[in-house]
Amino acid sequence: MNTIFVIEQLLNGIGYGFMLFMLAAGLTLVFGIMDTMNLAHGSLYMAGAYVAAKVHAGSGFFVGGVLIAVAITVLIAFLLEMVIVRRLYQRDHLAQVLATFGIILIADDLVHALWGPSPIMAPTPAALTGPVQVLDGLPYPSYRLLMIGTGLVVAIGLYLLVNRTRLGMLVRAGASNRRMAEFMGVRVARVFSFVFALGAALAALAGALMGPISAVQIGMGESILIPALVVIVIGGIGSIRGAFVASLLVGMIDTAGRAFLPPLLRAVLPPTLAADLGPALAGIAMYLLMATVLSLKPAGLFPARS
Amino acid sequence: MSSVPLSSQAVSRPRASAPLRFAPWVVLAALAAIPLVAPAFGLDYYIEFVRRVLIVTIAAASLNVILGYGGMVALGHAGFIGVGAYTVVALVDAGFDQVWLAWPLAMLAAAGFAAIIGAISLRTRGVYFIMITLAFAQMLYYVAVSLSTYGGDDGYGIYSPLSLGWFEGWHPHMLYWIVLALAAAAFALVGRLAGSRFGKALQGIRDNETRMAAMGYPVFAIKLAAFVGAAAVAGLAGAMLAVNNAFVSPSLMHWTESATLLVMVVLGGLGRRWGAPLGVAVWMTLAEVLKLHTAYWHWPMGVALLLVVFFAPRGLAALADRRREAA
Amino acid sequence: MSTSASLPDGADAPLRFLADPLTHKPLFAAQGLVKRFGGLLATDHVDITVLPGEVHALIGPNGAGKSTLVNLISGLLPADDGQLVLDGVDLTRMAPHQRVRHGLSRCFQVTSIFRGDTVRENLLLAAQAHAGSSFGCLGVRSQEPALRETALALAEKVGLADTLDHIAGTLPHGAQRKLDVALALAARPKLLLLDEPMAGMGPEDSLRMVELIDRLRADTAILLIEHDMDAVFQLADRISVLVYGRVLTCGNAAHIQGHPEVQAVYLGTEAT
Repeated sequence: MNTIFVIEQLLNGIGYGFMLFMLAAGLTLVFGIMDTMNLAHGSLYMAGAYVAAKVHAGSGFFVGGVLIAVAITVLIAFLLEMVIVRRLYQRDHLAQVLATFGIILIADDLVHALWGPSPIMAPTPAALTGPVQVLDGLPYPSYRLLMIGTGLVVAIGLYLLVNRTRLGMLVRAGASNRRMAEFMGVRVARVFSFVFALGAALAALAGALMGPISAVQIGMGESILIPALVVIVIGGIGSIRGAFVASLLVGMIDTAGRAFLPPLLRAVLPPTLAADLGPALAGIAMYLLMATVLSLKPAGLFPARS
Repeated sequence: MSSVPLSSQAVSRPRASAPLRFAPWVVLAALAAIPLVAPAFGLDYYIEFVRRVLIVTIAAASLNVILGYGGMVALGHAGFIGVGAYTVVALVDAGFDQVWLAWPLAMLAAAGFAAIIGAISLRTRGVYFIMITLAFAQMLYYVAVSLSTYGGDDGYGIYSPLSLGWFEGWHPHMLYWIVLALAAAAFALVGRLAGSRFGKALQGIRDNETRMAAMGYPVFAIKLAAFVGAAAVAGLAGAMLAVNNAFVSPSLMHWTESATLLVMVVLGGLGRRWGAPLGVAVWMTLAEVLKLHTAYWHWPMGVALLLVVFFAPRGLAALADRRREAA
Repeated sequence: MSTSASLPDGADAPLRFLADPLTHKPLFAAQGLVKRFGGLLATDHVDITVLPGEVHALIGPNGAGKSTLVNLISGLLPADDGQLVLDGVDLTRMAPHQRVRHGLSRCFQVTSIFRGDTVRENLLLAAQAHAGSSFGCLGVRSQEPALRETALALAEKVGLADTLDHIAGTLPHGAQRKLDVALALAARPKLLLLDEPMAGMGPEDSLRMVELIDRLRADTAILLIEHDMDAVFQLADRISVLVYGRVLTCGNAAHIQGHPEVQAVYLGTEAT
């Protein structure tokens, strides 16, 4: 295990972290402002991945595919919010979990009907198949650099939006204390529709970008949903800053865990034990992180709620 | 302020009408008859299906106690089912094949894990509790996936069936009746629990935890006891599934299984003794019927869920209430 | 123990008992209670005592920290510093439910009852906490005669006997507050914390509540938080005035009414 490998894994972790951030940002705002648990967020991620992959594969235009994926997903999100999610705001978490779980089931079958049960190919854009010499002796996939770059741009954009614009201030007010914000005249419902749509756009973007490096298949939404939920709990519900820090933490710990733990354990434990323990510890690393954070800061790292 | 209550009225809880009170016995008799009657119609396959439904009902009933009576939204209950199942796997792997040894040990193992998990999780509330119980179940899942001795992700096949001990060899469908007996016992216990001191205390905690503590109830201890007890029963269900399916894999404890269990309980009716049986029976039967006709069997279940959330939020068991009140 | 908190400053001793510290040890003593919320010192080294059989009122302007103090005493909030002793037992480290077991009980400013249940069921639940273990799984609680008797007695004590089968959430406000008190009484407490029992009540209901509290003084010592000054002067043996988290002064009604600082801070600006 040399430094090149370590840096490479660190970069991978950051890239994964940024993708998680794009998912978690929307999720945490929805949860923070409307106190609504939306499990179907993962399905929006899946929609983005599928549409982008199909458009790219069909037309050869990668950026076009991403944009179309985002547009279509935002449309779906609007419809979803209007028809179902809006009616869940005043319900308890259990009802929200159930209803959005129902949406997941419908979405999975819809995707199945449209594109079949098997995973589909999401090709890496031709211009980005080659590596970039990040450092001496470290060729790093340029596509992954694009992911990191996009993530950074999104993070900065969100930061500016939330902290420097009037709209962002309204969002923060709603996340901090919705009742109070309403009393002060904020049209929280409108702010919320915007937030839901923004969250959907980010989820779709993440899906579109993740497509080429992970499997585009039914159920991909569910598998990234859990890490996203862990991120928002660690970061503090309703906090974008928290989501950012937590997603980088989770991204790196997850990647590092999978890369470094097995060889580390092999060095100190008998091989059969190491072979079992390695993947297990890697899998639960982010949960251990969450448990640790919650025991020290029960409301997450940067709780937005007052 | 007037001292004569305008809206307050004396309430008498409607007593179940005679037919409804005999329902459990009728259902029990009908279920007991299935292994005897089904072969005559060539429906042998469904004996195993009903047996599976009964086992899942036991798990759902235990979730109904902590969720319906206790208000604890635990999204990791399938983890305890898995612990029970893997206990059986461990015992079979080590050469022990007695059901009457494996099942109690499975309950003990599940209770043990629950004691630790509960002691930590129950210090949190709301969405944090949901997430922590989920996290622990996922941890158990990953541990199971990595246990290569027990098959890891591929699962573990139980090739020689476990012995039913004293009941071994009585009848080819003996396992079914044992399962039925245990399911009936679980049903009776859950029903009894509602009106018992513990059940009342649990429901009080669900309704107003602060007040319960202010009245002197050891709230944490009561919740933990319920959590551990429910986990033990879930462990039993897991152990029974291991025997029923003759196969155990980590997918048994994936979070989607926990979510499905939650769905079944809410569908049937939270906090009602018929909640678990109704919810499990309807959900699993619907899935089974749909699977026969189409590969697209998820979306109708999704629609059913949405219908329940918006039109029958208190579940199917509560629909009977409306009819009774209207009568 | 600071004697200045237990002796009224030069005022006439209350008629009901002698305040001589040599013959009357306080039943309850809170010493040096401190609570901080971030930078805010909500409770500032509060000393308060309650003598046996006493009704001790706690008054003060809004934001003075009365509710915080009640929460510290009942255990809902952990104190940053200080000590709580009830009948010789140090309650400081105990969880709320353990304090109840040692004779402390409280009712809530915002009515905290079980709205979906009947009054009887509310009272049975309260009675159950003090009549054996709550871990029994097989018995039928509603058929326990001892609990039913206790519930009936509690209902009669507060005047809810004819609404036993009414759903608690449908009762008028005054009756719900009475139920709140009844739930606290089930503990047969040595010290009862009444947190604004008259909150939101009209004149007739307030009168009933004052009568009830008067009846209760025979059974338990009472720490009464209230804004209703008529009730306070009618019921209280001693009154402590809390301002910005500190006890300004403590004494009987005459002492308080004549205290210039109290007049300025509280009575002068508060219309009752």
